[in-house]
Amino acid sequence: MDAVDVSEHYEVTAADNSPSLLSIVLDTNPRAWAALDSSLSLAQAISNILVFVNAHLAFSNANQVAVIAAHVNRAVWLYPALQHPSSTTVKDNSGDVQMHDASAETSLPPPSANKYPQFAQIESSVFSSIQTLMAETTVQDLDQLTTQLSGALTLALCRINKAAQALSSSDTTLSNAAPVNATAPPPVKGRIVVVSVSDSDPSQYIPTMNAVFAAAHNQVAIDTISLAGDSTFLQQACFNTNGIFLKAANPRGLLTYLMFGLIPDTEARASLITPTHDTVDFRTACFCHGKVVDTGYVCSVCLSIFCTPPDNAECLTCGTVLALGNYGAKPAVLPRKKKKKKKIANGSGREETGSATGTPRP
Amino acid sequence: MSINPSLSLAEYLERLPGTTFKKLYQQPSTTFAIFRRMLPHLAKTFVMRMLFLPHPMTLADLDAWVKPEAKRKKDQSLSILRSLHIVQISAPSKEKPQEIQLMSNFKRSLRLALTGGGNHNSFGVPSSLMVPPEIDLPFLDRYARKKWEDVLHFVVSSVGYKSSLGEGSGPNKGVKELLIAGQLVDRRPNGSLGITQAGFTFLLQEANAQVWTLLLLWLEVLGNNKSSGLDPVDMLSFLFMLASLELGRAYDTNALTEERRNMLPSLVDFGLIYIPQHKRSMFFPTRLATTLTSGGNSLRTISEGSLGLLGGGGTGEQAGSVVIETNYRLYAYTQSALQIAVLALFAKLNMRFPDMVAGRLSRASIRQAINFGITADQIISYLSAHAHEQMHRTAALTNKPVLPPTVVDQIRLWQLENERMKTTSGFLFRDFTDDKDYLDTARFSEEIGVLVWRNDNTRMFFANKHEQIKDFLKSRKKAE
Repeated sequence: MDAVDVSEHYEVTAADNSPSLLSIVLDTNPRAWAALDSSLSLAQAISNILVFVNAHLAFSNANQVAVIAAHVNRAVWLYPALQHPSSTTVKDNSGDVQMHDASAETSLPPPSANKYPQFAQIESSVFSSIQTLMAETTVQDLDQLTTQLSGALTLALCRINKAAQALSSSDTTLSNAAPVNATAPPPVKGRIVVVSVSDSDPSQYIPTMNAVFAAAHNQVAIDTISLAGDSTFLQQACFNTNGIFLKAANPRGLLTYLMFGLIPDTEARASLITPTHDTVDFRTACFCHGKVVDTGYVCSVCLSIFCTPPDNAECLTCGTVLALGNYGAKPAVLPRKKKKKKKIANGSGREETGSATGTPRP
Repeated sequence: MSINPSLSLAEYLERLPGTTFKKLYQQPSTTFAIFRRMLPHLAKTFVMRMLFLPHPMTLADLDAWVKPEAKRKKDQSLSILRSLHIVQISAPSKEKPQEIQLMSNFKRSLRLALTGGGNHNSFGVPSSLMVPPEIDLPFLDRYARKKWEDVLHFVVSSVGYKSSLGEGSGPNKGVKELLIAGQLVDRRPNGSLGITQAGFTFLLQEANAQVWTLLLLWLEVLGNNKSSGLDPVDMLSFLFMLASLELGRAYDTNALTEERRNMLPSLVDFGLIYIPQHKRSMFFPTRLATTLTSGGNSLRTISEGSLGLLGGGGTGEQAGSVVIETNYRLYAYTQSALQIAVLALFAKLNMRFPDMVAGRLSRASIRQAINFGITADQIISYLSAHAHEQMHRTAALTNKPVLPPTVVDQIRLWQLENERMKTTSGFLFRDFTDDKDYLDTARFSEEIGVLVWRNDNTRMFFANKHEQIKDFLKSRKKAE
């Protein structure tokens, strides 16, 4: 009888099965991979990642995937492949500048009957792109110890944003007119998985964190699997975006880490207990030298962080002249206690404390 | 021969015996399609996590994965996984904790599907012949649309709404007979054809479900007809394989088995594949075939791109053309005679423009539809499946349901006015020996989501499926 009142009508909602977009950022730092080679070579890692990509695509045929390489000096699309007209000789493409899913490529060899066609396309695209990337890497590039992570993260975010816009509104005039509600769920479940092998580069702190905050704002989770190195900023990235940070103690088991820890997308995570990161390295890099600091100086106007007081006490970011006060004055701890007793006796308080400006460091 | 016309794919699969699943899971493409199409999201996550585990894991571990508030979801997922014979759960015993693992067949095939390799040829052998240049994606879409519209027109025209096409262009004789055998339409005493309640259900389904309904009918008819020499399991497996083929690519018919080649003419009739006139040795899967494993929603999202040609199997019936307002007014941006005919089944249309029809839902129009045998739920699901993009957008922006709740409730109320009972077929469990026995069993059935009604005072409960409860009771008895 009461069949109408049991709020059944709310089951007719829009976003019960929205597509999920996975962007994989693969750190391709040659030095780091050479160091890892004994336990896991880059080729093995890529095959493992491809299985993970296939698993993600298997969930639904609306799911999409993008693979981006974060190289030593730039970030490169591995899939969907961005085709340069100049490199037509190397790759099997049609000289098309437009970025397109490989399904549009006509010159690929016919796929094997033993493989799902889409999987085969991704595999060939990733492998050929990474070969080109490695062929283009020069000896000078190898001097770089770190990776252009921020660029790759930004590319991944752009891709997710593009997909989200394509899905949410087919004509832009209507969406511009409608007020954007920040609480509405995003039309696409975006997620970035970073496979990290090298240390975080302090000089990239600001661009990386900008990308992280943009991701957090768009409800895009950043997950990280760290195979080697000390990825300080990625820990913060995962923490800020509710992502998962996995430190792979044994890089050989990459596939297990991926399939077990990172397969649930944001929808499945609502009902699963996700691995938590107990310690997050919250240290930041200073704006003046790009060093990672525990304690530093903060501009009171724009909150820029400096490892040493800037020249002329002028903030490097906003130009405000800052007063340092009596920084460095030795806090007089013991004598003060005695004074306090006197003060209470006298009833007059504040004149005695001469150095009122600087807050003593602990 | 009894055919249940409104059989969904899930129900069909659930009735198959375990040995059939063993055969189905031989093929990676079939495994892959069943994984993609039949499982809820959480179940897919479970399968993926277990896929590369070397040993069985304990059920307690699985419980530890899931947040306590999602327990119900987990139990339902597990129940579906068991009914499709994807996981194996060991019987509870005192010495060993219950263990769960993927069926070895399923595990091997899904691994093969994900990693590639093997020599199973289950993803179709591409044809090496030259592809005629005129066969491109728009051509295949047009072809499939035409074929499928013919089928729908045949069903709909029996209500009396004449299709815009000539009489001669209807579907093939075989398809017509299939529709009659499936009781989507039936022969009236005066010799004319009339639509049945199952036919209405069929019309109001979204395109993907329609295709499956027809295919399952076909499987059943052929399965009952032993002389055809076709094995329903092999046919089902072939259909799943079609779903994993690539649109716009030619495949080789010679690589198929004899039985499968015999199926091709029927599939051509349904519009699932296309065979060029002068090159009989190649076939092209159409969008109807390649989207077999996608749900209704993903069809909507796929159609967002350039592929919106075939959203609902009709020109104007591309996914998303109906706007419904809180004042029961209904606008449909369509030219398709088919969709207008369907809308006219439950709405009073009073204006028609070159590109749009307008009308409203009223008590009388809904009552008329209910007299045809259409249910309120069918109308609601039709409206939500065909809701206009703008409805989805505003719903997403304001975080509200797509259809106005007041309209949805009112449609239900109108139906309830003279349908005061809802029947569920199922099984009554009673005469339990003691209270604990009863409570445990009832709780189990609630957890797996089959409990419909219970009364603790009389120790009776009613469930719509009994297989797993039977297993549960058996295993309890053993444990004692």
